[in-house]
Amino acid sequence: MSNPLSLRAALVFAALALLPLTPWMSKYYLLLAFDALLFGAVAMSLDLLIGYTGLVSFGHAAFFGLGAYSAAVLLEREVSSLWLSLGLAVVVVGLYALLVSYFATTRRGIYFALLTLIFAEVVYTVFRYTQTFGGSDGIQGLPPPSILPGVLVDTPVGNYYLVVSYLFFAYLVCRTVVSSHFGQVLAAIRENEDRARFLGYDVPRYKMGVCMISAVLTGLAGALYPGRAAYATPDLLHWSISGEFLIMVMIGGLGTLVGPIIGGAFLIVLQEKVSSYVQWYSIIVGLVLIVIVLFVPKGLLGFRGALRLRGLRRGST
Amino acid sequence: MVSVLLPQLLHGLVFGAALGLLALGLTVIFGLLGVMNFAHGELYMFGAYAGIAAIGLTGSFWVALIAAPLAVGVVGALTEVATLRPLYRREPLYGLILTFGLALVFREAVRQIWGGDMRRILPPVEGSTPLLGMTYPNYRLFLLAFASALLLGIWLFFTRTRAGIIVRAAVQDAEMLDGLGVNVPRVFTLTFAGSAALAAIAGLLLAPIFTVYPQMGVEMILLAFIVVILGGMGSMGGSVVAAFVIGITQSLLTLWMNPQRVAIAIFGIMIVVLIVRPRGFFGREGVLE
Amino acid sequence: MSRNGVLLQVEGVSKSFGALAALTNVSLTVHAREVVSVIGPNGAGKSTLFNVITGLHGATRGRVIFDGQVITGRAPEAVNRLGLAKTFQITNVFPGISVYENVRVAAQSRAPEAGRLASLWRRPDVEGTVMELLTAFGLEGRRDETARNLSHGEQRYLEICLALATKPTLLLLDEPTAGMTPGETKEATALIRRMALARGLTLLLIEHDMSVVMGISDRIAVLHFGEKIAEGPPEAIRSDPRVIEAYLGGAD
Repeated sequence: MSNPLSLRAALVFAALALLPLTPWMSKYYLLLAFDALLFGAVAMSLDLLIGYTGLVSFGHAAFFGLGAYSAAVLLEREVSSLWLSLGLAVVVVGLYALLVSYFATTRRGIYFALLTLIFAEVVYTVFRYTQTFGGSDGIQGLPPPSILPGVLVDTPVGNYYLVVSYLFFAYLVCRTVVSSHFGQVLAAIRENEDRARFLGYDVPRYKMGVCMISAVLTGLAGALYPGRAAYATPDLLHWSISGEFLIMVMIGGLGTLVGPIIGGAFLIVLQEKVSSYVQWYSIIVGLVLIVIVLFVPKGLLGFRGALRLRGLRRGST
Repeated sequence: MVSVLLPQLLHGLVFGAALGLLALGLTVIFGLLGVMNFAHGELYMFGAYAGIAAIGLTGSFWVALIAAPLAVGVVGALTEVATLRPLYRREPLYGLILTFGLALVFREAVRQIWGGDMRRILPPVEGSTPLLGMTYPNYRLFLLAFASALLLGIWLFFTRTRAGIIVRAAVQDAEMLDGLGVNVPRVFTLTFAGSAALAAIAGLLLAPIFTVYPQMGVEMILLAFIVVILGGMGSMGGSVVAAFVIGITQSLLTLWMNPQRVAIAIFGIMIVVLIVRPRGFFGREGVLE
Repeated sequence: MSRNGVLLQVEGVSKSFGALAALTNVSLTVHAREVVSVIGPNGAGKSTLFNVITGLHGATRGRVIFDGQVITGRAPEAVNRLGLAKTFQITNVFPGISVYENVRVAAQSRAPEAGRLASLWRRPDVEGTVMELLTAFGLEGRRDETARNLSHGEQRYLEICLALATKPTLLLLDEPTAGMTPGETKEATALIRRMALARGLTLLLIEHDMSVVMGISDRIAVLHFGEKIAEGPPEAIRSDPRVIEAYLGGAD
């Protein structure tokens, strides 16, 4: 199997690891970097669905938010092990994703977009309007998680390294999927779903598979969020968050994996800097999206980058 | 018991009629253009705000009822020509994402122009009429009559006129238009404008009952999506029937549950239907179509 | 296994789409290694018949038996796995990836890893199968070309390669020479016939081009308005008055 980690990627991660040592990385920037990389990672896992398989999900916020609430519920009860939070997130998000993808993948493409949206809206409604998980306030005042007994992750630097590690892990997973036989079938499904079926591939099963991989990766990211924010609120489940993930993928470039990470960082920074003009923000984002779709559909990095990453050259395995 | 059920039933019919107008436009566009218009809720919202503008200028709801759909229809036509037309040859996901972006822009633009507070449109018809042992608001009766007449007119258009029959057949199978010597781009633009106008009418009609605010389209579009899924993708009649079913169900359920539980219940119904009859009430067979 | 070497049995299949009766009581038998052509004017129901056989539609009435098993109403991927492959009337390849990758993904569907968890980290080796197919159709020089850049004729060949890569016993060809020049058509016909003989394949064809049909078929079935109006060897069909009337009766 081809090596999923290219030299270029290894260098980037090394640079990321060294970033906190530079003089200008204040606490503010570390937290900003955390958000940028975390949401960027989610965008990358969404790209598996949209860019590689051609399935548009409007409900990724549900995967993210459910992961966050899973961690929050444990932290609230003084169960501080990060690993348990991650494990619970995998189970909860996995089950939810199984349910959604079962309904959303057995029909043609548009159902996927609609059903992911509708399911996510229901999840949002349940968390926002019932009191079981704190209603509109969510779960507040959470203690920091620990990666080992007694070793808390309670500083911006600690959280930063946590997210970089997670990004590294998620990147490896995505690259492995994409360069595997499974990934090739995904590409075939994107190119011509009917044809793939007539060649004997159980297309719905593949769609479910990639949906669950993308969902669980997103849920893991969500589980890291309460460590940084000390809360989990229904806002994390709102469809506008799903929209933002989508925008990140489009800005960064469909099918590139790395592009959406950059798109995520770009959007987070844009949000931060433009927040004083917050009324115009949505219009700008909407216009950017329209312009990208019409004129720069491959986003910042574009599809050619994807072909190179996947090593689709003559004679390569 | 009847005195409580009956008004709710009528409320449901009223809402269902307006919802039917909204969902019908969505279905026709999806069948014909292959685009699931995520900005359809915003066209609905435009209808209400255009109505506010028209009433502000002329003081007449009735003028607004003509002017607003026209204006929104024009907006729809312009939007289709400028942004959607280049996308027909591409994969459908681009249309989805584009209309999502349009929705963002439309929503925020309205918020900038009219502000984010809730607005009201006063019903043009006041008072109530004694009906079947209760009194029922006249405006709602008007709405039901008007929307039903409009739906009937649309049904006649699609079954009795040549243009309508062609469009309806094309909604089922868009490729057939190629062989007919029809100006396809023009048909697309007109149909999109028509669906926008329908959404606008629905928005204006429902405005005196619900309040007007920039987010009003978001909730309606979710409901419209559920209607379209229940009715069966690409089935126009299915959308209308499902709209009435949802409208009545929602209305009756509010007698026993708060609005959020009603929403969850509607969702539950959708799931059950999807399990029992995956293609919806009237959907066409063929998973791959 | 099938009796008397019968590979495909279409029994009294009817198919309606709402009020539209696309097929009415069509029966057809195809024996192993036969080449059977289905002809008829436009709208006669030929493609619908193929779609019912390959699982895209269910049948309103009747059933389809392949290799002794009832396949009516089964999903297309299941039907394909039983050994039935089809090409599409409108070229339906994977446009954005290379010719080699097109056939590779088709061939890999038969690898043991396909559809299993192992496919996440293992890649089946199908280089031999892929190159053999490409060479048989003269596409080996175009292996790295993006599929959508191929000429029309090359894409039709690629279509057939995709279908063959799934190792079928019965191959359904839906107008394989559509859009080809007369020269290309002749070449394609010879190629298809050679390939079928070499692999012991059974062929079921839809064709409009009479020269292809007459030259290649063991038997011909004629559909008209959804019904089978004639069946027999090429000479008999050529002179059958009902067939002549159907084609000349303004139905095209």
